[in-house]
Amino acid sequence: MAWENMKQRRLRTSLTTLGIVIGIAAIISISSLGEGFRSSITTQVTQFELDVIMVMPSGLTGSSQTRLAQKNATSIQNNITDVRVATYVKLVPFPQVLKDGSKNATTFAALGVNFTEFREIYSERFNFEQGDFPHSLENNPIILGHGVAHQKGETIAGIGDNVTLVISSNPLVPLPINFTVAGILEESGAGSLISLDTCVLVPADLTTSLLGVDMIFVKVTNQDRAENVAENIRSMFNDQVATLVPIIMLRNVNNILNFVQVFLTSISSIALVVAGIGIMNIMTVSVMERTREIGILKAVGAKSRNILTMFLAEAALIGLIGGLFGVPAGYGLAHVLSHTLTTFRPPEGANPQIPIEQMSFTITPVLSLTWVIGAIVFGIVVSILFGWYPARKAAKMDPVQALRHE
Amino acid sequence: MQDLLEARDIKKAYKMGKVMVPALRGVSFKVARGEFVAVLGPSGSGKSTLMHILGALDRPDEGKVFIDGMDLSALSDDELAEVRLRKIGFVFQFFNLLSRFTAFRNVEIPLALADFSDKESNERAMEVLRLVGLEDRLNHRPAELSGGEQQRVAIARALVNNPSMILADEPTGNLDTTTGWEIVQLMKYLNEEKGQTFVIVTHDPTMAEVADRMILLKDGLIEGVKVRGERL
Repeated sequence: MAWENMKQRRLRTSLTTLGIVIGIAAIISISSLGEGFRSSITTQVTQFELDVIMVMPSGLTGSSQTRLAQKNATSIQNNITDVRVATYVKLVPFPQVLKDGSKNATTFAALGVNFTEFREIYSERFNFEQGDFPHSLENNPIILGHGVAHQKGETIAGIGDNVTLVISSNPLVPLPINFTVAGILEESGAGSLISLDTCVLVPADLTTSLLGVDMIFVKVTNQDRAENVAENIRSMFNDQVATLVPIIMLRNVNNILNFVQVFLTSISSIALVVAGIGIMNIMTVSVMERTREIGILKAVGAKSRNILTMFLAEAALIGLIGGLFGVPAGYGLAHVLSHTLTTFRPPEGANPQIPIEQMSFTITPVLSLTWVIGAIVFGIVVSILFGWYPARKAAKMDPVQALRHE
Repeated sequence: MQDLLEARDIKKAYKMGKVMVPALRGVSFKVARGEFVAVLGPSGSGKSTLMHILGALDRPDEGKVFIDGMDLSALSDDELAEVRLRKIGFVFQFFNLLSRFTAFRNVEIPLALADFSDKESNERAMEVLRLVGLEDRLNHRPAELSGGEQQRVAIARALVNNPSMILADEPTGNLDTTTGWEIVQLMKYLNEEKGQTFVIVTHDPTMAEVADRMILLKDGLIEGVKVRGERL
């Protein structure tokens, strides 16, 4: 009966339902984008070696007086339990790799490392596309990240080639240092704390005099111990160092995403509440218009709860139909928004040394069954809640008065 | 014959502004099962008020109504609705059909409220529509039917739950004389052939010709009762 009533008022019902469609679509698009965003971030963060901790002077650029060195790494390894290996790394930002003085490659960083220890830290990422691990430090060996060696489809240098590293981070002393390419790493993705794809690895000794960040990479025996080890390291250095623990990052990112998602979903719910007020408005008008009909139904034996149910069923149907159309509409909208966000290009003036693929980010909207059911149920509940007042008004009508209504 | 309906000293007044205007001032009468009773009176005599009270749509200020021995004053609103559903069928002057529904669906409404199965509901609706001669107008909406046909649909709707009695308020008031007479004849047929009890509120004296008994109402009081064939 509720359905037949609604069919008779197609335009009005459609417009009222449209409100719910928009509300549900807003919620679904925001939530599926949020879930997609969370999934992308989580996938990236979980690709991090969750058992690797990065230790650096607090203030990152060394504003504190603490300078980290290999001896500190040794001290960590010897004195802190659950540490498998700790190695000193010097990060020299944005050097250029020059081949024959002309072909050049952009990099994110040159990492001054102890090759043997560093390989232990990133054992799973140390796969060579060409060449191999340098067995001696003769001829200044250099390992090129996959993205450094292959720039825009062109291979910059091969094994045994001589390349020059130009350090431009200190403009006064742009030190050119000559290296021999010992190996080119396979692509390992941007999932580690530092993407090896966009770095070059050189012997730590050669970077001692260069301006950069002293760091210690620590691999723990078990990722569950990472947080604890990080705490012990910080106390060892009297909190003069900062630690980067992927597990904490993952947790923080999740917390932030949860907050953002709850916040955005709450905002989009306002659209649904506005739609609910629309339902209340339309149903109040409808109850007035149908006063005589209510009187007739009561005269032929309808109880108050029959009338209440009839109007609430109409409200619930509006909510249900709104939900059924709103979910795909919202999912479609999320895809459009995701496409718009993905085609984002770095603004003018962005650091040209950071490869563009590292600045763009793909979000694939994720629609979970929980959200679908939740949104539809929410739509129905809102419709029923806002339909309650007019429906109750109808149910409580005096049959004689209602029958007299013109 | 066993009494089906008893009105015992019914009083009802309405508030008009600050003044209480009496509509019924102590009306008592009985209707036997299978009787055809007409309540006649000029407008303002309290006919409609009486019908609403007899039909469990309204409550008297004083007095009691019994249907099948059941005291309506002791019932809740929902129980009164149940009485209207099971024991009373209404026929109104302006038909009071739901304009959006077909004749068939209009007749089905009381069956739906009484929780009949679809199959039984279909059969019963068909049966009463056939009884009132509308088997070929099932799928017409009220606007597509003549006044007489609409009133037949209303009678079918009133009949469909096998009520103890049918209460009709000016059933011919909105029809031309010929059609009105046909409706009266239909009701009389249902009374005589099916034993259906009718209480008809009207100011139409032609009802006198078919009613077993006429109750004359004036200014909220019974002025007289006339049995068919008697002079008042």
